[in-house]
Amino acid sequence: MNEQDARAAVLDAINEVAPDVDTEGLDASSRLRQDLELDSLDFLRLLEVLAQSTGVSTPEDDYADLITVQRLVDYFAARAG
Amino acid sequence: MAAERVANLRRAVGALMARSKREVPHYYLSTTIDLGAAMDWMQRANADRPIATRLVTAALLLAASAKAAKEVPDVNGFFVDGAFQPSPAVHLGVAVALRGGGLVAPAIHDADALALDELMERLRDLVARARAGRLQRAEMADPTITVTNLGDLGVETVFGVIYPPQVALVGFGRVVEQPRAVNGMIGVRPTVTATLSADHRASDGLRGGRFLALVDELLQKPEEL
Repeated sequence: MNEQDARAAVLDAINEVAPDVDTEGLDASSRLRQDLELDSLDFLRLLEVLAQSTGVSTPEDDYADLITVQRLVDYFAARAG
Repeated sequence: MAAERVANLRRAVGALMARSKREVPHYYLSTTIDLGAAMDWMQRANADRPIATRLVTAALLLAASAKAAKEVPDVNGFFVDGAFQPSPAVHLGVAVALRGGGLVAPAIHDADALALDELMERLRDLVARARAGRLQRAEMADPTITVTNLGDLGVETVFGVIYPPQVALVGFGRVVEQPRAVNGMIGVRPTVTATLSADHRASDGLRGGRFLALVDELLQKPEEL
């Protein structure tokens, strides 16, 4: 998956989990917890939506790296077929 | 419409909390709990699971709180008409912050009797429905004790205000790594600060302390939650 597709998938997932976040003008360096105020249940849901759209199931060991929107984009760009 | 809903909710929470601060003689206890065993166990459990059935730390904290509340009835029930009425059932209120502002604290019914996976599923369902504005009246009306978990937003300690007519509120902060001595050895362990705000008309520090000590004990045996 190229970065553009990964970005679209990530933004779609954020839209679904946190509809109040303005994904149009979203800064890619935004932090999921502190800036978007996603809690651990939101985060789990986000990964669930992304698993459906990209086919990538994220192991828990990788959670710690996925702290910003850009990290998510890079992660799924690198792993999704 | 959304702004109006938030404003209404804010007013309702404000009125209830003003009543609590006016009428309820709070006392506050705090303890730091080693979550090493709980986190290790959860990580192992989650490694074999698809995302949809994975556990989060909050589910373990809620399970331990519900089981401890069953054992310490002095913190579980209602203060009405000048007397404390302990509740035989534990309906665990879960404080849920709504996106866009406001707070609701609906109940997971008979939370002490649920298996951990069932509790996790109820938690996910409850939070999703709370945020969608689709809670049932009974869920809103009858929690017997409430838990607030502000850990995800980064604070370490919660000093809670009791939801009257309930008589206790349990607070959990963020999981932080701390140097701890375990069996005479210093190591870095994940810890959480658990607090109890309780109503002095229903219990005192001894019973409240027993409750927090039980939460701690239960979290040392996560496989039994």
